[in-house]
Amino acid sequence: MLDYIIRRFVYTLITIVAVATILFILFRMLPGEPTMQVISPAMDPAVQERMKKAFGLNEPIWKQYFIYMKNLITLEWGRSFVSAQEVTSILSYRFWNTILLMAAGMCMTLVLGIGMGIIMAWRRNGAVDLIGTVVGLIFQAAPPFITGLLLLMILSYNMGFFPTGGMYAPGNRPDGLFDLLTTADFWHRLVLPTLTVGMYYISTPMLIMRDSMLEVLGSDYIELARAKGLKSRVIMIRHAARNALLGVVTIAGIMIGFAVGGQVVVESLFSWPGMGQLMVESAAQHDYPVAQGTFLMLAILVISLNFLTDVLYSYLDPRIKITAKGLS
Amino acid sequence: MTEINKDPLLSVRNLGVVYETSQGPVHAVTDVSFDVQENEVFGIAGESGCGKSTLIKALLRLLPDNGVATADRCDYRGSALMKMEGEAFRKEILWQEISMVPQSAMASFNPVYRVGDQVVESIQTHRKASRAEALERASELFDVVGLEPGLLKSYPHEFSGGMRQRAMIAMALSLDPGLIIMDEPTTGLDVLVQERILRRIREIRAELKSSIILITHDIAVIAEMSDRIAIMYGGEIMEQASTIELFENPHHPYTLGLKNAFPSITTMGTELISIPGSPPTLIGPVQSCPFAPRCPFDDAACHAANPAATEIAAGHVVRCVNYENSAQFRSLAKEKSTWLS
Repeated sequence: MLDYIIRRFVYTLITIVAVATILFILFRMLPGEPTMQVISPAMDPAVQERMKKAFGLNEPIWKQYFIYMKNLITLEWGRSFVSAQEVTSILSYRFWNTILLMAAGMCMTLVLGIGMGIIMAWRRNGAVDLIGTVVGLIFQAAPPFITGLLLLMILSYNMGFFPTGGMYAPGNRPDGLFDLLTTADFWHRLVLPTLTVGMYYISTPMLIMRDSMLEVLGSDYIELARAKGLKSRVIMIRHAARNALLGVVTIAGIMIGFAVGGQVVVESLFSWPGMGQLMVESAAQHDYPVAQGTFLMLAILVISLNFLTDVLYSYLDPRIKITAKGLS
Repeated sequence: MTEINKDPLLSVRNLGVVYETSQGPVHAVTDVSFDVQENEVFGIAGESGCGKSTLIKALLRLLPDNGVATADRCDYRGSALMKMEGEAFRKEILWQEISMVPQSAMASFNPVYRVGDQVVESIQTHRKASRAEALERASELFDVVGLEPGLLKSYPHEFSGGMRQRAMIAMALSLDPGLIIMDEPTTGLDVLVQERILRRIREIRAELKSSIILITHDIAVIAEMSDRIAIMYGGEIMEQASTIELFENPHHPYTLGLKNAFPSITTMGTELISIPGSPPTLIGPVQSCPFAPRCPFDDAACHAANPAATEIAAGHVVRCVNYENSAQFRSLAKEKSTWLS
């Protein structure tokens, strides 16, 4: 088990280094000088040269790469071209806002989706099964910027149940995470973006859960569980759902990765001050240090979540340990 | 013979199972009657698809949704199994009174739970026992089937096929049931492991008072283990008798054919004769003897109606219109040409 986790962790680190390297190359391939925002072409060439030197841009590319990597590790992620704030301090605030929204969305998606999947498999070909499948697929087919807009239009603009966006009322910025989480207003504002995320992704865990439940229900150990005289609820939950969960966990890792990307749309739509919104803003303003930091942070988030999925999987399926040993 | 017929443990009369399929009703089991006595091994033998497994699924109410079982009688120690309320059946009969060793022990343990926990689960479902008490019982059971009690902590995939089979038998014994149904308990195991498992089953049977229904397609295994045998074909019991009677005085042409198809020590060196053709599909109502198309001794009567079961001696039941000619059949059945014509 530990052996497997350590190896997975090393792979995770290698992946992060690879992503950082790709980012380094990408940002240097962007059209135009990345420094155009700061170093105006109108300046005296000698001054331009001196500023380039200050940024280390006159060094050979390999040396720049090592400085870049060193700075990443020591958390010297630079300052925003626009606000001159430290990138790390901007990110540390934005990071948690994204996590909160994602956690809410994914919890809703997974809990409801898995629950629905179990019920649909249990009562297969029944009303719940049919409605669940159709509604789930409609939600999945509708892009979040449409469902989000519809929700805003109906529930917020027409009916006035919810505010149109933001994480807190203007001028009411909470001090720190605890203060935020204990404000009723925050939870109120969380509802619509969570619904938007949840509606878009729910069909994935729901249909996967339903299908793997049906597959598991046909297996010999379920028949034996029935022969053992277990209650049907126990068979459904302890034997069927527990084993069907394996399929969902695999998909959940991939789905969460997509959801992080989808976060850009949802955050922009609901003016949610998270990393997705930051990414759009910084790209629009050519704020390269912030954009680079946001990209990297999101990549690290996705890769770490995949690592956690693998660990969870090895805990859920005892057979994986043997396989891991066999492969090493 | 008359005295064992008193108070059988399980008494089944005219049990039938019909599956509704898109191609019409499939009569998987038709008109099956038998008794299992206390402390007896009752063998059911037949080819794949003859209805053996459907029969036990019907007894345990494990039939899929499209399967319907009917019976004039299906009594276990006086309680009518088919008429019991579902919840009572689950609590009082399943595993507590009738347990089973399934056909595929390999796949019948849930792969994500430790073997010991699965044995504990079967105990705690029916008895008020603490986890420690249940584990204690589980290690006793492992001891009975010849497994290290330490193996209770293992996962099913860490067991060999033989070990899983033993663990399954241990689990089936966990509540001292009156009847254990063993569905092909040694299929897929190599001969040595098979022999060890069979020996263990015999020892257990001597120690405990459970009766066993042993289902197999292996005539050798069934002859070695059973007190009485029923031969099934096409969803019906073709012949039923005590083991000795069945092998010394077989009446049904199918029994003769089955005997031919298995090697025996006394007739070593003679060529095995198989029965040409394949089992019936069982779709639609039964209107003739199901074995008639493959039977070398068939005549018009065989194809006209499905023969009724006849008790030709105490406890010896044959379902064949021509059972009176069995002496002639027996000598003819030894010739390969009889079966090929």
